Amino acid sequence: MNQYSLKDVKTPKILFFSNMIILFVFLMPIGYLVYRFINFSRSYTSFFNSWNVLDLLGNTFFLFLTVVVLSLIIGLAVSIITVRFDIYRPKIFFTLSVLPLVIPSYIGALTYVSAFSPKGLFVQIFSVFGLSEISGIEGFFGSCVVLTLFTYPYVVLICSSALRNLDSTVEDAARSLGKNKFQIYTQVVIPRLKKPIIFSSLLVGLYVISDFGAVSLMRYSTLTKAIYSYYELKIDGDPVIFYSSLLIVMALFISFVQRGTELSNSSKVSGTPRIPERSQLRLKSKFFVYLFLTVVIILGLILPISVLSYWLVRGLMSGNSVRAVFGGVVGSLSTSLIAAIFSVIIATPIIIMVAQYKSKFGNFLERIMLALYGLPHIAVGVSILFITIKIFPGIYQSFTALIVSYLIVFLPQAIGAGQASMEQVKFSYLDASNGLGNSKFQTFYKITLPLIYRGLFAGGALVFLSTMKELPQTLLLRPTGLNTMAVDIWSYASEGLFTQAAFSSFILLAISAIPTYILSTRNLTK
Amino acid sequence: MNKRSTALFMACLLIFSACGSAGEQGLQGERGEKGEAGEVSQAAIEAAVDAALAEEKAEVGGSLVIYSGRKESLVSDVITAFAEETGVSVEVRYAKSAALAGTIALEGAISPADVFLSQDPVSLGIVAKEGLFDVLPQNILDNVPTWAVDQRGYWVGTSGRSRALVVDTRDVMDSELPKDIYGLNDEKFRGRLGLAPTNSSFIAMVSCMIEQDGEEKVAEWLTAINGLGYTEYPKNSPQVAAADAGELDIGMINHYYTLRTLAENGDSPIKNVFLDSGCGAMVMPAGAGILSSSQNKTAAMAFIEYLHSNSAQEHFTNTVFEFPLVAGVTPNELLPSIDTLNSPEDLNWSALALWQEKAVELIAKAGF
Repeated sequence: MNQYSLKDVKTPKILFFSNMIILFVFLMPIGYLVYRFINFSRSYTSFFNSWNVLDLLGNTFFLFLTVVVLSLIIGLAVSIITVRFDIYRPKIFFTLSVLPLVIPSYIGALTYVSAFSPKGLFVQIFSVFGLSEISGIEGFFGSCVVLTLFTYPYVVLICSSALRNLDSTVEDAARSLGKNKFQIYTQVVIPRLKKPIIFSSLLVGLYVISDFGAVSLMRYSTLTKAIYSYYELKIDGDPVIFYSSLLIVMALFISFVQRGTELSNSSKVSGTPRIPERSQLRLKSKFFVYLFLTVVIILGLILPISVLSYWLVRGLMSGNSVRAVFGGVVGSLSTSLIAAIFSVIIATPIIIMVAQYKSKFGNFLERIMLALYGLPHIAVGVSILFITIKIFPGIYQSFTALIVSYLIVFLPQAIGAGQASMEQVKFSYLDASNGLGNSKFQTFYKITLPLIYRGLFAGGALVFLSTMKELPQTLLLRPTGLNTMAVDIWSYASEGLFTQAAFSSFILLAISAIPTYILSTRNLTK
Repeated sequence: MNKRSTALFMACLLIFSACGSAGEQGLQGERGEKGEAGEVSQAAIEAAVDAALAEEKAEVGGSLVIYSGRKESLVSDVITAFAEETGVSVEVRYAKSAALAGTIALEGAISPADVFLSQDPVSLGIVAKEGLFDVLPQNILDNVPTWAVDQRGYWVGTSGRSRALVVDTRDVMDSELPKDIYGLNDEKFRGRLGLAPTNSSFIAMVSCMIEQDGEEKVAEWLTAINGLGYTEYPKNSPQVAAADAGELDIGMINHYYTLRTLAENGDSPIKNVFLDSGCGAMVMPAGAGILSSSQNKTAAMAFIEYLHSNSAQEHFTNTVFEFPLVAGVTPNELLPSIDTLNSPEDLNWSALALWQEKAVELIAKAGF
């Protein structure tokens, strides 16, 4: 009798070859950078001597550390409060605290920078109170504030759903051993959330080092800002390749370090998890909890929306045309939808192969996919740009190249979401199906797919969201004539045309809210 | 759950397809109306229109890809007018001039671009240096003064602009101002300067400085300016806005952004300062060239001729506040006479292009 045990089953050939092709495409950008890197005409030390490489590396790393720590603190606090404590309408607070996720960092930075600008909202408000001189927000501090506010929702999303699934019997045991509430959280709950915490800090960290919109607007010199500056100065210059390579090495390093911390399966429990009662809060702590949530929601959501509304109203009153944003809307929707659909189609065989056929290649593929999680967009964009010019001129500046580039960066998101749902597919189910005489394809169609399609859909939605917010790759690779809302916002914002930028930003936010809502109400790590 | 997600997905699809078709219809509707109205009036006024002219117009057609280093807000009106008058379907890729020059150099023969429209002569020089431009016919080169064309005829100027300082007159006295760009290296300007290090015109100015004064002096100046504490801007225009708002005392820009602000608000406390000598006073052409790899050189030529037409030149001087280059077009009254400016004489644009890479390196080395 054939049995689905981990080692015996051979990977079907179609699966093997299709995944080989995907792997090849995925490794191409890195391969090209490596090729260019070893073929530099000048010596490596000349890079360190002539450009401020160490400063850029230091700045990037410092920003990464600070934002990850701040996001984890805020994100975990919000998760625990909204999941475990008895507060008024926890769902509404949860949704509001997750919503900043829909605000791309460059729009967030734009709202903060423009609010402090001479004609901005803050200056108008403060001038009522007779304060004319208020200092702006920029540099390291500004980048930190903005990136933290718009990345902590990742922590909330991932940790709160894990928290909801956490079996509370262990906590009951801890309580019976005389641990107080605080100890239970620091010694039992948070350590058991190790996996989601590592995963979300990885997401946040990679977001931070990949981000170029916010740091550019805040004028904080990181690697991404340097890459873009050099691209604007001279595209064929070695610095663009050099910095892109450094950035990718940094991203891979972060991935490896965080993956290297052995992942435990402790949060997985057999049977139905027992859901704990929501803890009651004393009046005093209640006040602080509400104050905390309010401040976070104001800074991350209400303030940016108010600033955008302010510019929007100013724009409409001075008769700005609404039509100008239309092309960007169509461009964004079409690129995002196509990227999302392809990501699901491509992710499925990879997920199946990794989960159901533990071959060496499968393990390798999983490692690579995990390592490639969140490759910096701008570096991949630079690499694809050179590859399409030098090797595949047929797809240079084409829609295809743009979508491929999106997929390289965003596919791991679809895989991650699908893999999480794959945990529901027990080998015993597959054995049973096999025993009933179903073919592998029938098993996939009848057993696996119904169990994982929600995860796949969530993954597709994630890719849709990310693609719509994507900026640097789109700037580098878009076909002539294709505009996206992100590109419109960027070009308006960099000309200081805040009123026009606000209009596109509003539409972008209105559309992103739908998939974000799906994601926030769905249990991603189930 | 199942139904809801399917419904949402369908809703996304519907919204998307609705947007797509509405967009096409909207555009077609607009074009259709304008086309009809145009035909009627033309028929009425030009009943016996010149046959040669009609033939010439019929020849121009197809599609044209323009790489524009000039901002969308400055040139899109002219490009749209050209497309409407000739029926050529035009696609424009906007980016910084230096980036586009680098892109074209990298693309080589596979470049999708037909025309490169640049805000500065140095970026044009880079494409010329790579041998990727066609030589333009003499009659097009003759449209503008000789200082505004490439010596070998690879590109032609379309409008003129001068380097200048934008000054907030509330905080800067005339007596403080330097004679040339090197005079900005002075303790009294600590923390008061602004510049856009990735702006193509700034790089062009630095290239000019290297050509005129030597690498060492320029490197020294850049490092000193960085040491004085400057405010970095992505472009020229935000410097003017910052000066207008009282945030910035002195910014290194091209002259026309200041004039645009003054035209909108005559009470604005800012003004342009044109330096007495050196590359800080450089007057340079924005220009265009036709790529050898172009598939539609007829339309490309027609476009460059259109940039020299009275309507385009008037747009450049009255809306953008640049110097018109074609004889017979009156410069806007806010512009100083071009003869009063003290640009270095006989600048060789292709020589400056050779210094561009060095300029970029020096700017980076100085820590900008």
